[in-house]
Amino acid sequence: MPTTTVIYFPTILLVPLISAAVIALFLRRKGNAAATVAVVAAAFVAIDAIRMALRGLRFESSTEWLRLGDLAISIGFKFDDLASLMLCIVGVVGLCVHVFSLGYMSDDAAKARYFGGLSLFMFSMIGIVLADNLFMMFIFWELVGFSSYVLINHWHEKTSASDAAKKAFIVNRVGDFGFLLGLILCYWTNHTVNLTALAEQSESGHLVFSTLIPLLLFCGAVGKSAQLPLQVWLPDAMEGPTPVSALIHAATMVAAGIYMLCRINVLMVPDALTVIMWTGTATALYAALCAITQRDIKKILAYSTLSQLGFMVAAFGLGSLSDTHLHDGQPHTVFYAVGVGAAMFHLTTHAAFKALLFLGSGSVIHGCHHEQDIFKLGGLAKKMPLTFATFTIGVGAIIGLPFLAGFFSKDAILFLAFTKNRAVFGLLAFTAVLTSLYMVRLWKLTFLGAPRSDHAAQAHEGGVTLTAPLVVLAALSIGGGYTGLYAGLFDGVLDLIPEAQGPDHTIILVTSLVVMLLGASTALALYSSAPTDALAQKSPGLFGALGALKNSFDAAYDYYVAKIQQRFAMLLNFLEQIFLAGLIVRGLAGFVGLFGMGARALHTGNLNAYVYWFLGGVVALWAFATGAL
Amino acid sequence: MSQLPFDPLLLSLAAPLALALAIALGLPKRWSVRLAYVAFAIPALLALHVWWHFSDTPLPVHGYAFLTHYSTGLDGLGIGLTLGLNGISLPLFVLAGLVGFAAGLYALQSGAERLKIYLMLLLIMQAGLMGVFASVDVFFFYFFHELALIPTFIMVGVWGGRDRSYAAMKLTIYLTLGAMISLVGLIALYVKSGANSFDLIALRAHLAAHPLAETVQSNIAGLLLFGLGILVSLWPLHTWAPLGYGAAPSSAAMLHAGVLKKFGLYGLVQIALPLLPAGLAHWSHPLAWLAVIGNILVIGLITIAQRDLKQMIGYSSVMHMGYAFLGIAAGSVLGAGGVVLLMVAHGLSVALLFLLATAVHHRTHTFAMDEMGGLAQQAPVLAAFFVAATFASIGLPGFANFWGELTIFVALWQFSPLITALAVAGVVLSAIYGLRSAARVFFGPPTEQLTRVTNLHPVADLRWAEKIPALILLAALLFIGFWPKSLTAPLDAALSTKPVIARSDVTKQSSSISDGSPRSAPAGLAMTK
Repeated sequence: MPTTTVIYFPTILLVPLISAAVIALFLRRKGNAAATVAVVAAAFVAIDAIRMALRGLRFESSTEWLRLGDLAISIGFKFDDLASLMLCIVGVVGLCVHVFSLGYMSDDAAKARYFGGLSLFMFSMIGIVLADNLFMMFIFWELVGFSSYVLINHWHEKTSASDAAKKAFIVNRVGDFGFLLGLILCYWTNHTVNLTALAEQSESGHLVFSTLIPLLLFCGAVGKSAQLPLQVWLPDAMEGPTPVSALIHAATMVAAGIYMLCRINVLMVPDALTVIMWTGTATALYAALCAITQRDIKKILAYSTLSQLGFMVAAFGLGSLSDTHLHDGQPHTVFYAVGVGAAMFHLTTHAAFKALLFLGSGSVIHGCHHEQDIFKLGGLAKKMPLTFATFTIGVGAIIGLPFLAGFFSKDAILFLAFTKNRAVFGLLAFTAVLTSLYMVRLWKLTFLGAPRSDHAAQAHEGGVTLTAPLVVLAALSIGGGYTGLYAGLFDGVLDLIPEAQGPDHTIILVTSLVVMLLGASTALALYSSAPTDALAQKSPGLFGALGALKNSFDAAYDYYVAKIQQRFAMLLNFLEQIFLAGLIVRGLAGFVGLFGMGARALHTGNLNAYVYWFLGGVVALWAFATGAL
Repeated sequence: MSQLPFDPLLLSLAAPLALALAIALGLPKRWSVRLAYVAFAIPALLALHVWWHFSDTPLPVHGYAFLTHYSTGLDGLGIGLTLGLNGISLPLFVLAGLVGFAAGLYALQSGAERLKIYLMLLLIMQAGLMGVFASVDVFFFYFFHELALIPTFIMVGVWGGRDRSYAAMKLTIYLTLGAMISLVGLIALYVKSGANSFDLIALRAHLAAHPLAETVQSNIAGLLLFGLGILVSLWPLHTWAPLGYGAAPSSAAMLHAGVLKKFGLYGLVQIALPLLPAGLAHWSHPLAWLAVIGNILVIGLITIAQRDLKQMIGYSSVMHMGYAFLGIAAGSVLGAGGVVLLMVAHGLSVALLFLLATAVHHRTHTFAMDEMGGLAQQAPVLAAFFVAATFASIGLPGFANFWGELTIFVALWQFSPLITALAVAGVVLSAIYGLRSAARVFFGPPTEQLTRVTNLHPVADLRWAEKIPALILLAALLFIGFWPKSLTAPLDAALSTKPVIARSDVTKQSSSISDGSPRSAPAGLAMTK
């Protein structure tokens, strides 16, 4: 068993794993030490990610991990512009979440388990980012699912938390079912799942295209990025501690689905892209409609994540733009994977402002003694000025306020939709109205007016570990949209971002401004500082319909699980116990039992006697076989 | 290769057997217990030793290392105690050593009644298990299986829990029947091959030169498949398993579900696949459909409906055997290798689950999951172990089980994409019952019944005596999960170079056989001696 092959293992991947292992093995009862270890590991990841990006370090390495018959699985890493960008996002947001957790979880009884879980989460996510083949990506993909289970289940004494964790993992497994099948199909049709090899085969025209492969792989993204119809786990996952929600929603788990799609872009075919585009558009609209009626500050943000993920998936599904020019007198068409550019751009800016919004909500929840109902908050602008200021920047970014990060990335998506598919453009623009509506509603009810509960009245700003990450993320939510700031670092991705020019530019700009103002002014006019929902009073029908829309999926799944699956399982169990184990087998056993009556004389019940019988039998057999008998 | 001054394989089965004999002859309890630690440790340490040294030197062309032959006076029938390991038996030999050690340690701290006899039976079982996988001779392969099986019946019948006498009877009838059917198959193979030897190396070489007719092959394969299938709980012949494991004392359940049950699959991979390829191919479709519909989907759903923790684990084990049968049906090197990987992984994880289930029972005084809840608050380490074992058994990457399932799925696609899709759907089912049971036992608020029990008997977290055997199993699962090559390298060599070996060997041997020259020792041994 001695091993000779040395696997190149990037330190950035190893450090969080070591941190998790050290915490699990030695620091179980030492919460503060565990927190320090995890934060140091996260800081290392963030610094190393930025360092690698600044130095323009790129590498690919692959070592065989397992070979059995026709299957060879490699452990390999592909660090290109896309991976570098994603790694920076994971590192920076991860570090902010770690630091924020220091304050937010300072009194938690199981601090060590929490920080160990965070490190494990970072490890799994970095693994997805660096993976150079789909097998490896799948492995870390599943590990992300496991890490989220551990973290969502953190307050496991609450049934709701335990149920949410279970639901998240199982729903993700449903998506992974497709991922795994797509992976196997891709392996047997193309004889490789290495991303670089697939790209090379695609360029040389040897890639076997099939609609089924990208669609099956997309199932995995549907699960992880919580697209319709597997979106149900994400709002429930709010049961986890708030910094975990920030981590899951901004940079890690749900972003993994988008990242995976961008990684397998070469496998895409038009039919598959159409499905992906409509799935994303439908999710964006559905989630925005659900968000309007929510009262829980975290749930609103959860639905807004769903909606924004829908934007990214739709952007990816809108696909490439082609540019035909004459080359040596021949028309030559070049495709630009602008879908990838737009999706990744929005993922980047979204990571900053969504982490900001979640951590901001965490700061609110922390300051208001775990009050999460926005109708019981209010007037926090004065009590928590820093949280208010940063949260406002976050809201501005998500609704597309000009010159903030979300403005640029959302316009890129709208422009792409405008050129490729007007129906999608219309729906996404309408969704943007809703986004502006529910975010301004949240903002107004939480921060303006008068406090509507004692908790809100006694609100206070948290310590520096809570506020520093907010400031950093606010800065990124402002600057993140100016791609010029990080030009030259990730050009492979940034060059793909679609940019509107000429008359299109005006149309997009006007649309996005009108859309944003329409939603915001409706919210400002409709909602006032009151303990009840204004929409519910003014239009109970609409309010009820939106609530029913939100519940429809959960109701359908609950019905399936409780009424169909569980009953079918009980029925099978009943049949098994009665027929197979009972009648048939016992019937046979009864028949055999008659013969047993005779043999019962030998059953003395004495253990030694049985052993002697056995030994006697062995001796007799032996004697027979050797020919002595 | 091995620098030991003795035969590690012989010692690994002789040590537990010797102590069992000594106990039977009246060794005092104090010494029995002390020596039992040693007798369980020796096979485990030797197994690790041979694992480490397996690839030190290039293997002889037949692929067996540590080969030694002991005459039994039955050479005229081609029966001899030949011990050796190839890439297929090595992983299982290691499994038997590790699970045996863990089960032994767990039994030693269990404080069972009549501990001496309990240990004696467990030691006999352990010796039999080491022997099963170390035997190159088919006769002894079968003999050691029976040696390990009989103590199981007694342990279930005497030390068992609920329904123990019915469970013991059912277990005996099923397993004896399965063993007898497969024995008929093995004898038929011996007779029909004309090799006049039970030695696998000789049989393989002979049959490669003179393959059996297809009808003969498929008849023998059928006998082996369904005979051994009963032993591995092929649906619908599985009903002994959940009942038996539900009733069995924990160490016996660990050894049986973890190791002994693998005898059937091991026989199929080691004997049937290379010797009767056409025969197995004949049965592969019915087998695959039985396994995917019966074992995976039906039993998967039935597992979801279980209320009793131990029964649930028993059913989940039946379900996972379905994947193993699918690997056999796929038939390729990849499929067979996946079966071996899954056998090892499942053996470790199911043993760990049975151990932890008993640990839970010590604290809750019940196996009924709806009377538990919230145990994680008082026993966080136990909860962590249980969650890890659950995730291992549902195939989370990082644990060995993932590799077994993944390789089988990949192999199965070439056999039938439809069956693959159905089988992969089972992965969702196992996530449902695994996580549901973890949640019902450990999370949420404690139930009233549990509060009543814990008020009477305060709950302590996992003790070191329980933790050490659990850690051994968990560490092995993680090691293989992170470093699958440690098993797949020898496995791949053993599985994929087989035809070449047979052909190159055959020319010499078949000529010597056709010469009619008498052979005193089985073929292939000359190379190592």
